[in-house]
Amino acid sequence: MEGRPLDDQELVEQARGGDARAYEVLVRRYQDLAFRTAWVIAGGSADAEDAAQEGFVKAWYALPRFRAGSPFRPWLLAIVANEARNRRRSGRRQDDLALRVAEDRPSGDAAPSPEAAALATEQRRLLLAAVGRLGENDRQVIACRYFLELSEAEMAAALGCRPGTVKSRLSRALERLRAVLAEQDAAAPTTLPGGDR
Amino acid sequence: MSRRDLADVERALADLAASLEFPPTPDLAAAVTARLEEGPERAPTPRARRWRWPAGWRRLAVAGLAAVLLAAAVLVASPGTREAVARRLGLRGIGVQIGGPPPPTVTTAPGARLDLGLGERVSLEEARRRVGFPVLVPGTGGLGQPDAVFVSENVPMGGRVDLVWRARPGLPASAFTDAGLLITQFRGEPTPEFLKKVTGAGIVEFVEVGGEPGYFFSGEPHFFTYRDAAGNLRDEQTRLAGNTLIWQRGDLTLRLEGELSKEEAIRIAESMR
Repeated sequence: MEGRPLDDQELVEQARGGDARAYEVLVRRYQDLAFRTAWVIAGGSADAEDAAQEGFVKAWYALPRFRAGSPFRPWLLAIVANEARNRRRSGRRQDDLALRVAEDRPSGDAAPSPEAAALATEQRRLLLAAVGRLGENDRQVIACRYFLELSEAEMAAALGCRPGTVKSRLSRALERLRAVLAEQDAAAPTTLPGGDR
Repeated sequence: MSRRDLADVERALADLAASLEFPPTPDLAAAVTARLEEGPERAPTPRARRWRWPAGWRRLAVAGLAAVLLAAAVLVASPGTREAVARRLGLRGIGVQIGGPPPPTVTTAPGARLDLGLGERVSLEEARRRVGFPVLVPGTGGLGQPDAVFVSENVPMGGRVDLVWRARPGLPASAFTDAGLLITQFRGEPTPEFLKKVTGAGIVEFVEVGGEPGYFFSGEPHFFTYRDAAGNLRDEQTRLAGNTLIWQRGDLTLRLEGELSKEEAIRIAESMR
């Protein structure tokens, strides 16, 4: 098996057998995802690092209880998200995701003009601000779906809800986001980025 | 803005996601690996937490934890000797630090209830099944089978077994553990998971046990900082320890505590099979 990266199941099996090296590979594979999930749930607080680290450590010790053959990602995310929620409860509440929109850097012939790029960036900022104005639950479900690109099972794990409720939670959140955008538009008309077909 | 349908909103969110900047992810893998080498931060299993033992055993188990600990005692030696000793101190799984202020200690008064992350009391056979190393028992000294065996499968990684003998004639009770003899063994990683800190008027001697390195702590009581029920090393979780021999046998690290002379301790240690 030289050269072929081990898949999650193989690494989990080795880690269950006490192989800390195999677990380290898993941590590297999912540290971005875990940290970002913790960031979204802890409300952008610096506790995200703490929560993600703690989540990985707890997951290691919980490996004996991991059901062999089941997917690792949602299982891990449930643990990390729980850590993040605990920290959020004890910490101060933050009202947005504390994320930034990158500046568009136009390059090549197909790139928009600097003006168009600046406009697109501004529109994205407004959209992010609108997401930030949503309630915590709506904000999280949207971030999990679109910013973290989680599957439904993973969203349910991260949000601590039943898989069957994820879809309806998401569509309600999108409805409310649309309403917030409408209010924003009424105050300062703009168009949605990526929607100008 | 009724002309906006949900599909537009979704498309815009996907577009936003592509240019969203999360803060850089810290190097969690390194931090996590370091913590796993240290041992668990939380009580490993609910079963271990539920375990209750008689008050007397409780204190014994406290002592057992000491094996996985930091110990502190002060070496009486000239600064030069101190450095020379410090350089070569340490076994697999246990580092030894000499000097520094003594840590605050918990009371070891009789009846003190130190509810630590202790192992489970099991039979010797069960302990052998649970850990990934051969559990050694003394072959001489007329000790016979231990009066109690504790196993912890998670502190440190790879598990730990504590063997306890009650005090009896020829095996006086330790002022610190109430036991006649306590022997702890675990598979020490090359990187020290635990730090023994030696301060005060204690004596640390480099010894050989069956040709392998060891240290004998004697004189003044030294300090062990041990893990609490949650597996955390905390300053307040420090107790005084009596005469103690730590040594290595292959990749096993062992620790023996009791009111024994160095020679007696080494004799028991070398008899272990």
